Amino acid sequence: MATQADKVYVLPGDEINPALIPSHPKHPLRLGPGLRHVPPSDLFPTTAGQLVTDRRKNLIWVESNGGRYIPAVGDLVIGTIHHGAADFFYVTLSDYTSNATLPQLAFEMASKKNRPQLHSGDLVYARTHGPRAGVRVAKHRKGRGPGPLSEGMLYSISLGMARRLLMRKSAEEGKVVVLDELGAAGLAFETAVGRNGKMWVNSKDIKTVLVVGRAVTETDEKSLTVEQQKKLVRRLVKEMA
Amino acid sequence: MPREAEPSQNEKDFILKAVREGHRLDGRALDQFRQLDLKFGEQYGVADVTLGKTRILAKVTAEVTVPYTDRPFDGIFTITTELSPMASPAFEVNRPTETEVLLSRLLEKTVRRSNALDTESLCLVAGQKCWSIRVDLHVLSHDGNLIDASCLAVVAALRHFRKPDTGMEGDTLTVYTPAEREPVPLSWLHSPFCITFSFFGSISVGEDGEEKDIWLLDTTLLEEQLRVSSCTISMNKHGEICQVAKPGGAPVEAVTVVQCSSLALQKVKDLSDFVDQKLAEDSKHRNKGGLLAELSADNAR
Repeated sequence: MATQADKVYVLPGDEINPALIPSHPKHPLRLGPGLRHVPPSDLFPTTAGQLVTDRRKNLIWVESNGGRYIPAVGDLVIGTIHHGAADFFYVTLSDYTSNATLPQLAFEMASKKNRPQLHSGDLVYARTHGPRAGVRVAKHRKGRGPGPLSEGMLYSISLGMARRLLMRKSAEEGKVVVLDELGAAGLAFETAVGRNGKMWVNSKDIKTVLVVGRAVTETDEKSLTVEQQKKLVRRLVKEMA
Repeated sequence: MPREAEPSQNEKDFILKAVREGHRLDGRALDQFRQLDLKFGEQYGVADVTLGKTRILAKVTAEVTVPYTDRPFDGIFTITTELSPMASPAFEVNRPTETEVLLSRLLEKTVRRSNALDTESLCLVAGQKCWSIRVDLHVLSHDGNLIDASCLAVVAALRHFRKPDTGMEGDTLTVYTPAEREPVPLSWLHSPFCITFSFFGSISVGEDGEEKDIWLLDTTLLEEQLRVSSCTISMNKHGEICQVAKPGGAPVEAVTVVQCSSLALQKVKDLSDFVDQKLAEDSKHRNKGGLLAELSADNAR
């Protein structure tokens, strides 16, 4: 990850310095969100943001904090069941957009005779699968993680925040330490973050859910630094007790 | 028409459970307002109210027109509300939703029918010329409690507004430009404010299982979507109730309504003081060298 000094910011249509585009002997160059390839070899940003590259994996993308979620293949998202049909659930990923489809058999351990019972308004944590007639959502087939989310509370966060929370090293790269700090303060809770700007928090204690939700949304809205986040968590935990 | 996006079942259950235990999502007390801010524009009669994430802009304009034939001694006073798609994708242009109709109706009852603005003072020549005062209300961002915020914006904008000074010499009516004569404020009689109570069913308290209604003040959009009924009480700081509206929904105990109205008075006093203070700040800011007093054509009686 680039340090503060050599961060590159681009505007839509800017020319990208060829020295910044990674090249790799084996992997082909992969474009992430915010970039457009104009054949044969031109590359243009389509959104304003920070240009990020990964030379090892030969990746390049533009990191921006937009308001509208545009589904991409492989995103972990939190959707709301809109209605169910014979084989599919129709799932809302963001308000006022067309629904995604979620096959009933995509759930773990699901079979023709043992279908998941989900009703309108229920939440599911899923992975987007492919842009065929809307978005198909397929359930992630690993043990913990995706699946129906029961109880808890759903919070709306910015897309940038969701991305930062989902980073493998969210503390170092994303500069979000609220969840770690809250955990360290002795609160027991579980979260699920969706790329579509949603965060689900659950705990046995209502107050814990409220504190976690407030800490994350406040960090997001006021774009707090690591130090400020720690201070916020200390204040909220003190208020709670 | 796009339907308003509904919250998921988890959100509904959680919020109701939290409210029953006396907690709100943003950590406020049940009867606490969000951060309220009021800004006046460069022009007279522009008020910008921010209540949490709700933002409302009110603009007052005046023009000389012919009065209604059945009311020759009264000026014209209208309030128009517009909920544009900018506030929420569920709103459409030229197709008023229930929210919009209720909002304009309530403002009408609160501000116009309570005679907050003395329409007789708007008459220039009986039966021929009068002022038409128009308030345009724009909802810039919708995060609940539109009614209270809109009412505050309308009242603040009207109290901030100055209409051009006029003079009658013989049969000729002269409307002076601001350069000739300092514009004059409207004849304002009292400041009504709306306080909306949102009800969330009842819980039993005590050992004898007595039922007690739960209500919230200044609800966010999410809370508003989950309430079972609401009641809007409009009054001024003297405790004179202008109207009480409870449009449908679950029934509420009479005792609760009485309790609500006494709490409303307290909140109205706070809002009234807040607007007074902001208006005073604004006039102080405009009146830098203390020259406004000299420009006024009125006699200090």
